[in-house]
Amino acid sequence: MTDDVMISLENVSKRYRGQKAPAVENVSMTIRRGEIVVLVGPSGCGKTTTMKMINRLIEPSSGRICVDGADVTSLDGTELRRRIGYVIQQGGLFPHMSVATNVGMVPKMLGWSRRRIDERVDELLHLVGLEPGQYRNRLPRQLSGGQQQRVGVARALAADPPVMLMDEPFGATDPLTRDRLQNEFLRLQEKLQKTIVFVTHDFDEAIKMGTRIAVLGERSRIRQFDTPERLLAEPADKTVGQFIGAGAALKQLNLRRVDAVEWNEAELMHRDESPTAVLRRLDESGAWAVLTVDSERRPLRWVGPRDLEPGQTSLDGVGIPVAVVEPRATLQDALDAMLGAGCGASVVVDDDGRYRGVLDIESLMRAIRDMREVERDRDRGMAEAPPRLPRQSDGSRDSASVRTLESR
Amino acid sequence: MTASTLAAGTATPSRWPGLLRRHSAMPLVIAAALLGTYLWVRSSRLDDIEQRSLNATTLLRLLRQHLELTAVTTVVVVVLAVGAGILLTRPALRWLAPGATALANIGQATPAIGLLVLLSIWLGIGFTTALIGLIAYAVLPVLQNTIVGINQVDRSLVQAGKGIGMSPLAVLVRVELPLALPVIMAGIRTALVLAVGVATLAAFINVGGLGELIVTGIKLQRASVLVTGAVLTAALALALDWLGGLISDLLRPRGVA
Repeated sequence: MTDDVMISLENVSKRYRGQKAPAVENVSMTIRRGEIVVLVGPSGCGKTTTMKMINRLIEPSSGRICVDGADVTSLDGTELRRRIGYVIQQGGLFPHMSVATNVGMVPKMLGWSRRRIDERVDELLHLVGLEPGQYRNRLPRQLSGGQQQRVGVARALAADPPVMLMDEPFGATDPLTRDRLQNEFLRLQEKLQKTIVFVTHDFDEAIKMGTRIAVLGERSRIRQFDTPERLLAEPADKTVGQFIGAGAALKQLNLRRVDAVEWNEAELMHRDESPTAVLRRLDESGAWAVLTVDSERRPLRWVGPRDLEPGQTSLDGVGIPVAVVEPRATLQDALDAMLGAGCGASVVVDDDGRYRGVLDIESLMRAIRDMREVERDRDRGMAEAPPRLPRQSDGSRDSASVRTLESR
Repeated sequence: MTASTLAAGTATPSRWPGLLRRHSAMPLVIAAALLGTYLWVRSSRLDDIEQRSLNATTLLRLLRQHLELTAVTTVVVVVLAVGAGILLTRPALRWLAPGATALANIGQATPAIGLLVLLSIWLGIGFTTALIGLIAYAVLPVLQNTIVGINQVDRSLVQAGKGIGMSPLAVLVRVELPLALPVIMAGIRTALVLAVGVATLAAFINVGGLGELIVTGIKLQRASVLVTGAVLTAALALALDWLGGLISDLLRPRGVA
C-alpha cells in the first residue's frame, strides 16, 4: 500500500510573516500513483498555496511533504521542479520563444543533446495534437488560447516527469475549448498515467477531471476528500453540500461517461447507396432515419424519408450532419452535442472516428431519471432543507428554490 | 485530437523593411544640419581666432575627446546601473530599491556644472573627474529603467520559469532580461543623450571635447565657433540616439510588441 503513495503531505502549514492566521493550516493528504487529485474550493482558500508547496515554489512553514518517497525539503528546489511538471493558466508560455524552445526548455536544462530535444519536441507536439511541422516555429501569440494551453501541457511533459501540478490549467479558455481540452487531457492521461494534482475553483471541472476530489475550506482545511461519486452522493457536511450546489443529480451528467449507458444501433448505409435503397431500408426496419457512413465506417449524416425527393440519384449532402461523441465523453458532453446539432441522437465513435453505436435522448433521459431517483430518496432522509445561501459556482440561483423545482 | 488551425504562416516576416522605414529619416536630418553649417562657415570669412578652432585637426581632436568621454561613461553606467538594477530586483534585495533610486536621483537633480565644479575641487581637474561627474549624472535613467523593466515582466512568467525547473540565473537571463530589454535600452539611450550633452561641460575643467568650441565661442564672442560646437554636439547626440534605437530594435526579442 505504501509504495502506491506518490505524494504525501503531513501536517503541512504555511504562515506568512505579518499575518495572524496561517494561509494553510495543518493539511494532511496522500495522493496515490496515477490518480488525478483535484483541489477545489472558493478563491483564496489556499488551494494554490497548498499545491505550490509540493514543488516548493512556496516553502512550507512546518510539516512534511514527500514526493516519490523523498522529503522535498531535502532536495534542491530547482532539481525537484525539473522532475515535476507544472502547468498554469494560459500555459504560461514565454512570449519571446518559439513553441519548440518553450517545450524544449526543461530538456535543454537537463543537458540533452540537440537532436534528442528536437525529437522529443516533435513527439510531444504530436501527442497534444499540434502538427510539429506547422507549429514548431510559431510564437505563442500566433496560437489560439486552446493551442497555447496544449503547448503548456507539452512543455510540462517534456522531461517525462512522474508528477504534474496543474493550476487552473483550462481556466482562461471559453467553455467549448475548455470542454475539448478536458477530454483530450483525460485521454492523454489514460496513456500516460501521471500522478496529477489539479487545482480549480470550478466544481463541475473537478467532478469531470478528478479520480478523487479534496473540497477545501478556509486555510485549506480539507472538508471532504473522496471520489466524485461519493462526494455527490454523500456530502460530508452542509458547506460541502452548498459547494456542490443544487442538482447533484444533474451534475452526475458530468460524471457518467457515455460508455456507462446503453447504446442503440443505427441502420448504417454506405454514402454511395441509392436513395431508393435508403427508402426500402427505412420501410423494412421502421427506423426514423438511416445513418450514412464512408468506407471507413465513419458516420456522416442522418437521412430520413423526408430528406429524399423523388428523382434524387445520390445521397450527397442529404440529411442532417451527425453529432459525434467519444465513449469517454461525459453524458453532459453528449447532451450538449445533441442540442448543438439539433438532433436527438449522438453517434458514438472510436478514436479513429469510426461508428460504434448511437446514444439517443431516450437513453439519456432514462439515465437522468435513475440518478434523480437516487437523489430524491436521499433527500427524503434529510430532515432539514438546505439553508438559503447562494451557490459557490453560480451565485445567481438560490439552492433551496432550485431544489424544490427539481424534486417536483 | 485535432487542432483547430490558424491561418498558416510559419515563417516570421523579415524585420528589415520595417527597420529601414523607421530608421532612415534621422541620418538625413543630421547630414542636412551638418552640411548647412559647413556651407555657412565655409562661406564666411574666418579671422585668426576662428581659424584656430575651426580646422579639421582641432575639430577631430575635440570630437574624439567628446566621444571618448561619452563612450567610457556609457560603458561604466551600463555595467554599474544594469548590474545594480538586476540586484535590486532580486527578492532578497528588493527592499533596497527605493533607497537606491533616491540616491541616483540626487546625482541627477544636482546641476551638472555645480557637480563638476564640486568634484574638481575635491579630486582636482582632469578626465577622471569629468568621468565621475558624468556617470553620477547618467546613472539614474538606466538604473530606473532596469528596475522598472524587470519588474514589469509578467510575474506569472517568472513563476512559470521557476515552476518548470529553471534556475534563478536561467530565469533572469532567459526570461526577465530579454523581456525587459526594450525598457532597459530606452534608459540607455536617454543616458547616452544626457552624456553627450553634459560632456560639453567638461570643457570647463579642461578635459576638452566639443564643449571647448562652445566655451571659446561664448568667451571670445565668435558666433561661428559657438554654432559649430552646438551643432556638432547636437548632431552627435542625435546620431548616438539613432544608433541606440537601431540596436534596440535589432535586439528586441521576437514576439514582444
